[in-house]
Amino acid sequence: MLRTEHLSLAYGDKPVVDNVSLAIPEGGITCLLGPNGSGKSTLLKSFAGLLPPRSGQVFLDNRAVAQWDRRRLALRLAMLPQKPIVPDGIRVRDLIALGRFPHRKWWQMNLTIDDNATIDAMAMTGVSDLAERPVEALSGGQQQRVWIAMALAQETDILLLDEPTTFLDWGYQLEVLELLSTLNREHGLTVVMSLHDLNQAAQFADRIAVLANGQLDTIGSPAEVITESLVNRVFRVHTSITAGREGRPFCTGFAESAQSRPRQRPHCTTTS
Amino acid sequence: MTHPATTTPRADQRSLRKFCTSPIARLILAGGLSLAIVLVAGVQLGAIDLSWAQVWAGLTGDSSEHVQRVVFELRLPRTLTGVLIGIHFALSGWLLQLLSRNPLAEAGILGISAGASLVAVVAFIIGDWLVSSANPYNNTSFALQYLPLFAMAGGLVTALAVYFLGMRHGHLSPVKMTLTGAVIAGMLHALTTGALAFWGHAHTELVAQWLAGSLYGAEWQHLHTLLPWTLIGLAGVALLVRPMEVMQLDDEHVRTLGLVLNRWRAFALLIATLMAASAVGVVGPVGFIGLLIPHISRRLAGANLSVQLVLCVLLGAVLAVLADLLGRTMFSPYEVPVGVVSAVLGVPFFLYLLSRQP
Repeated sequence: MLRTEHLSLAYGDKPVVDNVSLAIPEGGITCLLGPNGSGKSTLLKSFAGLLPPRSGQVFLDNRAVAQWDRRRLALRLAMLPQKPIVPDGIRVRDLIALGRFPHRKWWQMNLTIDDNATIDAMAMTGVSDLAERPVEALSGGQQQRVWIAMALAQETDILLLDEPTTFLDWGYQLEVLELLSTLNREHGLTVVMSLHDLNQAAQFADRIAVLANGQLDTIGSPAEVITESLVNRVFRVHTSITAGREGRPFCTGFAESAQSRPRQRPHCTTTS
Repeated sequence: MTHPATTTPRADQRSLRKFCTSPIARLILAGGLSLAIVLVAGVQLGAIDLSWAQVWAGLTGDSSEHVQRVVFELRLPRTLTGVLIGIHFALSGWLLQLLSRNPLAEAGILGISAGASLVAVVAFIIGDWLVSSANPYNNTSFALQYLPLFAMAGGLVTALAVYFLGMRHGHLSPVKMTLTGAVIAGMLHALTTGALAFWGHAHTELVAQWLAGSLYGAEWQHLHTLLPWTLIGLAGVALLVRPMEVMQLDDEHVRTLGLVLNRWRAFALLIATLMAASAVGVVGPVGFIGLLIPHISRRLAGANLSVQLVLCVLLGAVLAVLADLLGRTMFSPYEVPVGVVSAVLGVPFFLYLLSRQP
């Protein structure tokens, strides 16, 4: 499965990730948390073999990712970038079909089996009704489901997502996370994603890795990781953490700079 | 392209019928029809207008020597060369626009045509000097079949320079590439003008006409010189369609789909450069076809790259032949070069398209 050993990454001379060793559990949902610039996206890119390590290695099935043939790697591992580009005027069905690219030689057209994989991916993500629509015309939440469908059409067992909820409103964020959770439960998809919302990570993740200044601060189950001391240390936020549903932690935060803590504010908890 | 049989024959027939009645088939049919019309007009019209019967007789070799000469030695090779250069510039522009994700990209704007022109002009000057000093009576044109090779060398060097200077952090930055290309194009134009001024020979006129992009005097030899490159280019573009579909996505996305991005970008750039520069080598830099036709094709075809490709071929040929036809008939007996007419025809249309862009 996917793991790193003493991995350090850099953009040019600028070190971004420093000596990170971690293992991604197979068939689980792993969330990468950490402040802006802590190296979450960079780490995800290195999982996909997009960034050569400065030192250390990323291993997939005990073989360095850098050694993998790109097409073979694409059959094992799909990635959704933070801001994917929508090709001009493309329809939902055609965009999702691009996920089939690594399954064919580059000169081959898609076969019936590819069309079926595309149709299945649309059904799993609930975008079948949008198949003939141009992607640009869809809402943010619909577009994100289409991108996930494209990654599913790739039929990999690992899906990497770089902040899949960032440009979505709250409702769509939960919709996307629930979709990923369902795909993980029902199809055994291994999900690795970076998130900003601690509570969403606590609610959906099996395992959380917290990065701070390019180093791995803590890794473990949500209850192990989301603690008042960690949140204070890494995010500079005072929190009170309560036990949510299924024993998952739920935290309410107050920025350290806030002079007076507000007393009574409405707050809501999601139920799914 | 291989297209393995995946459906039953009946389903094939059904999808064939569905295809024939689709708007896409109608578009392609309309494109083909306009090409046929301008082809016939290109042979029929000119300094002397010919009748249908005369054209037919000229083509079958069953007519007066005069008509036969007009049809077979003047208009037919010229019109067909027009078809080829239209295809060359249109496909080159189409590839470059896709490659750089920049709707303004085109061989002219990226400096590829300018590089091709400069090297071709310099080769022409040197060749002319060598030939005339060796044999003052043999002053005929410098061997035509070599000019495209020189032009391609110039185009390739320029394209490589623009490509590598357009990189940022190891990845192609479309904005940087376009700016670099525009600046380099300006410099190369200046050098070409300088070379001509320095030369100051009686042939300057000929070269100036060539630099304006002209089909004047296009003969079968031009066609034969160009055709192999057309075939290579078309084969290359056909191979590129599927990778190009994927390459419209974000760079990192493309790579996680298993495509070795730099290799395919380089191949696409090579094909685009070969097509543009070989055409420049034969007829001179014809602008605007490469800018306009891909836009129009995209507008008409939507996101389907295969259909865009077919439309580029058809409409590129139509615009080149039509522009040449107008250029040589409007102010007859004077000729306006095809490069000038295609710009004059194309720019208002392009501005119209721009104004309609949301």
